[in-house]
Amino acid sequence: MQLSARLARCATWLDTLGLLALAGVLWFAFAWQLLLHELPCPLCLLQRVAFAMAGIGLLLNLRSGVRPLHYGVVILSSLAGLVASARQVLLHIAPGDPGYGSPFMGLHFYTWAVVAFFVLLVYCGVMLLADRVDERPQSRGLGLLVRIAALAFLSILLVNVVGTTLECGFGPCPDNPTAYPWLRWL
Amino acid sequence: MVMMLPFVTVLLSAWFAWRGSCAAAVGWWLATLVIFVAWCLYHMTSPLNISL
Repeated sequence: MQLSARLARCATWLDTLGLLALAGVLWFAFAWQLLLHELPCPLCLLQRVAFAMAGIGLLLNLRSGVRPLHYGVVILSSLAGLVASARQVLLHIAPGDPGYGSPFMGLHFYTWAVVAFFVLLVYCGVMLLADRVDERPQSRGLGLLVRIAALAFLSILLVNVVGTTLECGFGPCPDNPTAYPWLRWL
Repeated sequence: MVMMLPFVTVLLSAWFAWRGSCAAAVGWWLATLVIFVAWCLYHMTSPLNISL
């Protein structure tokens, strides 16, 4: 079997795993925020938005059929996230700078984000090698694993809307946030 | 600059993607991208402190 045909057969599985991974990244970052009381900075929030934007492309693939347009959504989102995360790496690149937040497995979250966005770009490049036209471009039913991935993704987006509103309200966030000022209003 | 706005627009995009409305999902995704770029201009225009 040709490589492109194999890729086309695996597309749904790989997109599902990709969406689960993106939802997992966002849930992990939120759990870290709550447990270690490390609030996300504006650039950290930008990276979360970029992960969410990339997830839209994968969700569209799963729900409306695999199309190059959807991989384009993931690619542009990953490029945006790469810009934000690389900017934060550069902000803390000077010797003696402790970085922002606690490291995870030796690297800060924004460094892991650079790696993750790069992996997403490579993934899309490989998947676009599959010369595939989806025979069912209309909306299609969702399997159990796809439903779980989509629900995990949608729920963490909703959680992020609430968390960011509590942290920043309806204005800009402080560069080094330490509290949830909007919790006082509840 | 409303920080929570792109989270709202990307949630709307995800909701329309989940409902199978591809055009609406891509439209809200584009709106999120525009806000993202505006956010980048707001937060990334100060000089980097990396001179050694």
